[in-house]
Amino acid sequence: MPLAPDHLSTTLAALSDPTRRAILARLAAGQATVTEIAAPFAMSMPAVSRHLKVLERAGLITRGREAQWRPCRITAAPLKDVADWVAHYQRFWTESFDRLDDYLRDVQKKGEKHGHGKHHGR
Amino acid sequence: MATGNIMAGEERELVLTRVFDAPRELVFKAWTDPKCVAVWWGPHGFANPVCELDLRPGGAILIHMRGSNGVVYPMTGVYQEVVEPERLVFTSAALDDKGNPMFEVLTTVTFAEQGGKTKQILRARVIKTTAQAAPYIAGMEQGWTQSLERLAESLAKT
Repeated sequence: MPLAPDHLSTTLAALSDPTRRAILARLAAGQATVTEIAAPFAMSMPAVSRHLKVLERAGLITRGREAQWRPCRITAAPLKDVADWVAHYQRFWTESFDRLDDYLRDVQKKGEKHGHGKHHGR
Repeated sequence: MATGNIMAGEERELVLTRVFDAPRELVFKAWTDPKCVAVWWGPHGFANPVCELDLRPGGAILIHMRGSNGVVYPMTGVYQEVVEPERLVFTSAALDDKGNPMFEVLTTVTFAEQGGKTKQILRARVIKTTAQAAPYIAGMEQGWTQSLERLAESLAKT
């Protein structure tokens, strides 16, 4: 089901940052705590927490309720929506060109039949 | 047989190359005669009840695409360059699933003769955007797109 446009924008904004994409890539391998997520990055825990909040608001991750650990997990749906959108854009042209190809074939067939280049029948 | 492929050029550009088994003049006409464009514009199952093309630099493009579900998606644009029969440049608003403009795309289409056939190259580049849509532009870079798709695929399985 397509997300509302503003929801899509939120997802895209969250994905605009390389650190957040790296965090998502890490979480794609499995859930992790904030400490584990922060380990490869040269940044403070509060900075990592801020990134996690952005991802959480965008619905890209969820955080466990277990008080001490609060492990982060990735959620697939919004990401898939973005990928779908890119695919949608490419499909628009690819399918249009399929139809253009058919159209050009038809027109040329008609042109031959009528003896002289009648270039656009309908 | 015509082939299509998608690759990324430089500067966050989408490039689609296609060879049509038709003379260049005919392909150019198919792109610029509203009656012809209305026949093929849009994905499979789409019709174009409105197709108005003011074919000159600064001229407006207005196409209403109607999906098989009956929903009409208007598309507007402006021609930047018209060089018969080899080159068309136009801007258009990129719409989301709900038909809301997200950003503006500059599309350049070139037509080259190739042994009686026509090699068409379409380049699409985002030129204007809102702050919210900016990250999507990054998505037009192939590497990022592919990694995102791979990530999404792997996630969809979990």
